Amino acid sequence: MGGRVLHFYLAGINNQNFLMRDRETGTWWQQISGKAIFGKLKGESLELAPFDELSFGLWKKESPGGQVLAPVARYQKKYESKWEDEVLKLPVPVSFPGTALKSRDVVVGLVVDGEARAYPVDTIVKQSPIQDRLGGKPILLVAGTDGKSVRAFLSRIDGADIELFRKSDSKDFALIDAEGSSEWNFKGCAVSGPLAGKCLSELAAIKDYWFDWRNYHADTSVYRH
Amino acid sequence: MFEQRQRPFRLIFWTLVLIGFALFFVPAFIIRPFRYQSPGALHLALVFRQIAPIGTIVAACGVLVVAVRSWRGASRRQRVLLTLGSLLVIASATMARLNYFEWMFHPVQQPGFEKADDVKLDAGEMVLTVTINGEARAYPVREMAYHHIVNDVVGGVPIAATY
Repeated sequence: MGGRVLHFYLAGINNQNFLMRDRETGTWWQQISGKAIFGKLKGESLELAPFDELSFGLWKKESPGGQVLAPVARYQKKYESKWEDEVLKLPVPVSFPGTALKSRDVVVGLVVDGEARAYPVDTIVKQSPIQDRLGGKPILLVAGTDGKSVRAFLSRIDGADIELFRKSDSKDFALIDAEGSSEWNFKGCAVSGPLAGKCLSELAAIKDYWFDWRNYHADTSVYRH
Repeated sequence: MFEQRQRPFRLIFWTLVLIGFALFFVPAFIIRPFRYQSPGALHLALVFRQIAPIGTIVAACGVLVVAVRSWRGASRRQRVLLTLGSLLVIASATMARLNYFEWMFHPVQQPGFEKADDVKLDAGEMVLTVTINGEARAYPVREMAYHHIVNDVVGGVPIAATY
């Protein structure tokens, strides 16, 4: 922040979205938005680093030289492999009856040019690839062959909208463009044809429970098709 | 006569105990996991938490001064109350200085890393991943769901991975 490195620690919880503070200024930050909500740096925003939520197998294939956070030996036994099931049993602090989804439905939230939309992960996995328009821009959502990893892209190359379809005769993940000339991989990059080497720009896809996404994006719509 | 001289002290004593306790308790009560927090309530809690480290100490000092001054003339029952009030405000001052959220979710002090090939993780385990300036990192969700925050530097860029 402003050329200064901040170090964060967990300091509270707000409607099941956590609050963190930085050791340097003591400012309070909201997890989901990266915004400073109280204290010295109030009003500032952290920059969201491009990230993915992937299965380990898929990531390892893409980044063979990568490094993995090691467990902290003291707490290793406390890591829950079934934590998702445990969380499902917990009550929610705020709910939105009458909306299209249930509180703990897992969605991928996108914001493009101020327009927010939630895409249920189940739907993405079932329908992948999904072509949509958000904030006036063409969007592509895809699920990996593991049926868990999800990515979102701006579906545009060199200023031109591009539509991608599932390549029907392929066992591995492969998309093909309308001209049928280039094949695209799960990273959003063309691996063959005239566009080989070109990549779609990836969008920050935040995986969240519906109630939490809705709570911080009051005007969000829900993808349905 | 004696009773009347004590009365203002008693009022000051219990007001200070209440203030000291409230500075700790109000934010602790509002910032709970399963309770809805309106933006206004959250703001109030944060204001209290900001004042609390100094506020509780001031209240505790005041409480102790009054307790010591009233001790001599106090009955046995009054001494018990003076002690309880003092302990309550001292406990509040202590709690206002502690981050009890880190008792439950222990922070990672120095993140360690292993090469992807050496890691025993199921292929289906979810990981949060970033690649910055060619450096790739994965943070297993299972670990992140416990620690919640990891401060790290990837490809020369300082980041905080959160879950």
